[in-house]
Amino acid sequence: MNDTTTQVPPAADDAPGHDEGVPDEVEGAEEGRTTMLLARMAEAVYWAGRHLERAEGTARIVQVHTDAHVDMPVGEDVGWEPLLAIAGVDSEFAEAYSAAEGPDDARAAEEDVVEFLLHGDGNASSILASLTAARENLRTARPVIPREAWEACNNLWLSSTDHLAEADSREGRVRWLRRIIAGCQCIHGILLGTMSRDEAMSFLVLGQNIERADLTTRVLDVRSAYLHPRGADDPYDVVHWMAVLRSLAAYQPFRRAMPARPQGGSTLRFLLQDDRFPRAVGACLTEARAHLKALPHSERAQEACQNASMVVASAPVTRLTLSGLAEFLEDVQLALVEIHERIDDAYFRPSFDGWEPAIATP
Amino acid sequence: MDLTHRSATVGTVDARPEPPAPPDGGVAPAWPSYDPVPYFDELVGPGGEPRPAAEALWQHLARLGPEALSERQEAAEREIRAIGVTFTVYDGGVGVDRPWPFDIIPRIIPRDHWQIIEAGLVQRLAALNLFIDDCYHDQRAVSEGVVPADLVTGSPNFRRECVGVDPPGGIWAHICGSDLIRDDQGFWYVLEDNLRVPSGVSYLLENRMVTKHIFPEMFRHYSIEPVDPYVGRLASTLASVSPSTGDPTIVVLTPGIHNSAYFEHAFLAQQLGVELVEGNDLVVLDDDCVYARTIDGLERVDVIYRRVDDLFIDPEVFRPDSMLGVPGLMRAWKAGRVALVNAPGAGIADDKKVYSYVPDIIRFYLDEEPILWTVPTYRCNDPASRAHVLANLPELVVKPANESGGYGVLVGSQATAEELATAAKEIEDDPNRWVAQPIIQLSTAPTLCDDEIAPRHVDLRPFTLMGPDGAYVTRGGLTRVARRKGSLVVNSSQGGGSKDTWVVDAPADPGINAGFGTGTDGAGGPPGDAGHDHGDEATE
Repeated sequence: MNDTTTQVPPAADDAPGHDEGVPDEVEGAEEGRTTMLLARMAEAVYWAGRHLERAEGTARIVQVHTDAHVDMPVGEDVGWEPLLAIAGVDSEFAEAYSAAEGPDDARAAEEDVVEFLLHGDGNASSILASLTAARENLRTARPVIPREAWEACNNLWLSSTDHLAEADSREGRVRWLRRIIAGCQCIHGILLGTMSRDEAMSFLVLGQNIERADLTTRVLDVRSAYLHPRGADDPYDVVHWMAVLRSLAAYQPFRRAMPARPQGGSTLRFLLQDDRFPRAVGACLTEARAHLKALPHSERAQEACQNASMVVASAPVTRLTLSGLAEFLEDVQLALVEIHERIDDAYFRPSFDGWEPAIATP
Repeated sequence: MDLTHRSATVGTVDARPEPPAPPDGGVAPAWPSYDPVPYFDELVGPGGEPRPAAEALWQHLARLGPEALSERQEAAEREIRAIGVTFTVYDGGVGVDRPWPFDIIPRIIPRDHWQIIEAGLVQRLAALNLFIDDCYHDQRAVSEGVVPADLVTGSPNFRRECVGVDPPGGIWAHICGSDLIRDDQGFWYVLEDNLRVPSGVSYLLENRMVTKHIFPEMFRHYSIEPVDPYVGRLASTLASVSPSTGDPTIVVLTPGIHNSAYFEHAFLAQQLGVELVEGNDLVVLDDDCVYARTIDGLERVDVIYRRVDDLFIDPEVFRPDSMLGVPGLMRAWKAGRVALVNAPGAGIADDKKVYSYVPDIIRFYLDEEPILWTVPTYRCNDPASRAHVLANLPELVVKPANESGGYGVLVGSQATAEELATAAKEIEDDPNRWVAQPIIQLSTAPTLCDDEIAPRHVDLRPFTLMGPDGAYVTRGGLTRVARRKGSLVVNSSQGGGSKDTWVVDAPADPGINAGFGTGTDGAGGPPGDAGHDHGDEATE
């Protein structure tokens, strides 16, 4: 080989193999830099938080209902329709399955409802659809979330789709749902353990808490509608309220926090007004408001959050009638929608007309 | 896997243990079926013996045996799927994410070779930057007869809008993804300089990470140059062209989640710790500054690493139908209020006709002899060359001068009589559009195919960074491999795979003349068949 070393041009500023010790970042980097969060990224992270929470929440509700169903005597069970109502997909289900089923099929079959909630075509809030949406949003937001969180979500999505057939049987279904719940918890844990408490984190937490609060109110709304008529005299009343608490992973915290056995009043008070259990509506709103305070231009959203907290705190939950409870829960849901809309207005769809640049131009 | 060596090496930085001895204490079995002849193999000599730098790897592979290798290949594929390394292929207009294809057997390049290649790549990019800057200023290369005027102003990649612009340091192409090949003698050539939006570096980095997990034991037998420093160098190169003083705001501009290289765009933004923006996230105001739409209003952007083609970056200047760009971006760039990496117009230097002049371009601007070979290239607009091409079509590769992605490439030896006749007519009708090169038999590297190791053709894409403060070349590059026997197509979209590439501190094969600096005139070149990889820019 010819000796060509004399031809090495001077433009190479270092010899091969000597990267160690060369500062490879910008000068002054040790002082930190002002990070910016793109509005589109904030939206992706917020929705990732909501969809992850929805996937986990729906999975837990189906799992608990499957367990509770086994406990109920034949004829006493409430069937599977309540799950559709909680997920808010009754009409979508009717549309998807009416064509296939005969008119005499009064009650929706377990297999159909579960399939629809897990991965049904035409159900945009199915567990799989939520997980897919969470994955897409995290993929968009990869630059602002920890790599491990994206990988965990990708992995969960892959294993859930790979094992979809398993969910057809009751026994396989429990395994599939457990994988979803554990996987979502894992992603959540990675985010808590490795993500900086920055603005992106705030949007994630906002999405999670708004979705959690919404899910809790929907569970209460539907369950109460099925339970109230017979009241506390019903021997299965305790079983029902235990199922409600378990649907929200709230049974154990309830037992530790409340003196009474589960019944309507104590359960409602705990799930709506408790300030320490992370799935209680009150606690979700407190958390959301704390994160809103850390964000710029959040005054109107904070206001809506405070308003929702007041609605929740002021309700005489133990003395509500059936219709009163339904009305009250609707008020809470509207207040949650208002928070979402104000976040949407402030960050995701702002009009930039007439905005002054945040940094002065030279 | 021999784990006992792990404890033996604790605390010994310099001592690298010998490869574990085979169980019977004798010589490790070779792969009796591995026969690279008639091609030049990167790892194995013509007699089946490993080249010096590949010896430890080769013996280790033989000891592991086919079953263990298949298991590791599967483990690698599981990991790639799990961490979500994908590329997007389009099938009937629908984009499908496919796991990145990866072959676990690394390719090895001795460091002595790499140092020369590195110097050659820096030399080449320095000259090309001077050429681009000249094209948009005095065009000395034209007035002094180095290149014809038509090569510059007649090129579809010449952007009139760029005339007279002075990007920082006169650097237009900050990031270059070169395609390197070796022929049947082991001579290295540059086949292409990709100066527009070259891609593949994320796969290079991820391949290394996967290999560390799959063959951790091999990293104790070799001193392998790390590839990770690329990201830090990219960050400092981007920062070095910022028009603002102080801490610059850098963004990566992507066409969006449906682009085939989106994985890489997101990966790089994440690695750099910067935002990944789409055209709609940016706005240019009356002050000619570029702003990003953040949750806190508009924030000034200083440097845009754009992965959107020139013609789509600004609908006010280029394609008005582009939804991917930012209206006013060219105005901001020309006013010096934002840096674009690579600069618009840099593509003038990466068409295949300019390629044929690169040796002269290096001599003209740097007054140096080229370090790396350029494949002899016949320009069909020259009557004598055209006559030669038309008379020898079956022995040549015919390429359109300005296309990328392997479009319109004809390999004479594999073409039907009808295809040859069509090509001849196209060349006669529009000679300006065509160049031709001899067919080069690409080198091969051992590749795992159906539980056996077989030679498969490879190329190499290293990445070169260049800013006002200096240059950097990745240690090694992305090796792409054609997985079908005899195939020269390394495109990932057409079944090509990839390999980790190790630049190792081990001796080069003394019997090999790698062809560096032994004469690089476009018309000359080494003897023997010339060759070719028409699977270029698989990931671009």
